[in-house]
Amino acid sequence: MAARDEPPTLHSKRSLNLRFNIPISKTSRFWDSLAQGKFVTTKCADCGKVSFPPQADCPNCMGGNVEWVELGTDAELLTFTFVQITPTSFVDHDPYVVAIGRLKEGVNVLAWIEGADPAKLKPGEKLRIESRKDPKGSAYYVFVKA
Amino acid sequence: MRNVAIVGIGHSKFGKRTDVDLAELAFESIKAAIEDSGAEKKDIQNVTVGSAGGWYEENLPAVIVNEYAGFKDVGTMRVEAACASGSAAVRSAYLSIASGEADVTMAVGIEKMTEVDTLTAVELMGRSGSYLWEFENYGMTFPAYYALYAVAHMNRYGTSEEDMARVAVKAHHYGAMNPLAQFQKEITLEKALSSQVVSWPLKLYDACPITDGSAAVVLASEEMAKKLSDTPIWIKGIGFSSDSANLSKRGDYVGLSATVDASRKAYAAAKISPTDVDVATCHDCFTIAELMAYEDLGFCAKGEGGKLIREGQTEVGGKIPVNLDGGLKAKGHPVGATGVSMTVEISKQLRGEAERGRQAPIKNGVGLVHNVGGTGHYCYVTVLSRSK
Ligand SMILES: [Zn+2]
Repeated sequence: MAARDEPPTLHSKRSLNLRFNIPISKTSRFWDSLAQGKFVTTKCADCGKVSFPPQADCPNCMGGNVEWVELGTDAELLTFTFVQITPTSFVDHDPYVVAIGRLKEGVNVLAWIEGADPAKLKPGEKLRIESRKDPKGSAYYVFVKA
Repeated sequence: MRNVAIVGIGHSKFGKRTDVDLAELAFESIKAAIEDSGAEKKDIQNVTVGSAGGWYEENLPAVIVNEYAGFKDVGTMRVEAACASGSAAVRSAYLSIASGEADVTMAVGIEKMTEVDTLTAVELMGRSGSYLWEFENYGMTFPAYYALYAVAHMNRYGTSEEDMARVAVKAHHYGAMNPLAQFQKEITLEKALSSQVVSWPLKLYDACPITDGSAAVVLASEEMAKKLSDTPIWIKGIGFSSDSANLSKRGDYVGLSATVDASRKAYAAAKISPTDVDVATCHDCFTIAELMAYEDLGFCAKGEGGKLIREGQTEVGGKIPVNLDGGLKAKGHPVGATGVSMTVEISKQLRGEAERGRQAPIKNGVGLVHNVGGTGHYCYVTVLSRSK
């Protein structure tokens, strides 16, 4: 039924569900290490550029000679937000705090801060990265207050 | 490069346009732009359509729009630069003439965003970054991306939620005078400040709405412009730039480096400085974005965006009037249409044809269009002038 006051509208009977299969073979070491509680990324063996997120090819010198290095888990809070209107695929999720933190290796990481009161957060605070598993067993990472 | 003028402008009513489909909505602007230009449809050699897409049923908007308007055998494409797709279309139409390829071209911006439910639109916008690292596990939204900038700007420069709310109050003030705006109602500072939090510190009134709309411009070479128009508006320079897809790859969160870079390129191409600009549209998808644009475009020093709005310098009669059409906030933000809509607005301002109360005083005859795509992922800055 058309809503009242709605002009004549054809409510299409065809719906489309999109679920993408994302190749991660070149960076699977990141996800495997994360599942074991280690936070690693790629570093170019030729020019020394550290990339986060990890990538198989160096964006600086374009070489393919990258190695895996372990990153520290200490971070400084650069900025954050408290997301209260969540997108449709997160609609059953409680509101969450997203932050960007800087690691001492000079790379920034975007992730949720778990268990923080957004009203009391201040840029400059010390955070730590921890790994988590979602209900389906996939690893992801979060910040917690250090 | 040859001189290029805007000789025709067209603009649909913005809002929730459940009365028209994609092609019908685009046609409103296409017809108006052609009539305004004095050219005939057969004079138009190519049509570039700016549209981000994904929220309407058609997959090939350019040919859908052209077919409905009766364009046959024209060169065409859809261009995408997120919320700056419209400016990308204008640039393409401009280059075709500047290069000598064509004498008359058209750029169309079109978006139909309300055919899907609101949270699906929120999701599609939230996926406009680096999907796997920002959305899959963290559910970023468009307001959330800009909120990260707002918190950093507040922390570094003392910008307040009230400073941001003033941008919304100004937008609604001018939107109330724009018959094509989605919202034509004034709001108070209190109303803006007490509205629902979307992604703290950004509230409902810090955010542009979800909008259907279209806009179109007809461009012409100098020779054709002389024949067609008494009020050609010349494109003096376009600068465009970009930044990382993933926000975590950026150095800081208090300004958009794509805006800084694009505007410096545009000023150099047009041989002007920021103080020469009589009137501007700034990309205010969120109120913080307008404040950062003041700074990044050089209308004030870094960190002084809040001061500029508090002093009223971006209103009619101020140093640099901004978004006298209501901006994205009140006029609405049909993503791919916005850059063309801004180009229409600045052309109107420079012709002296803006509605009563929202016409800027024009001294140097120079206007500026600032159009950002995504969260500073893309930026286009276009300088327009009454003189070639
Ligand atoms: Zn390298």
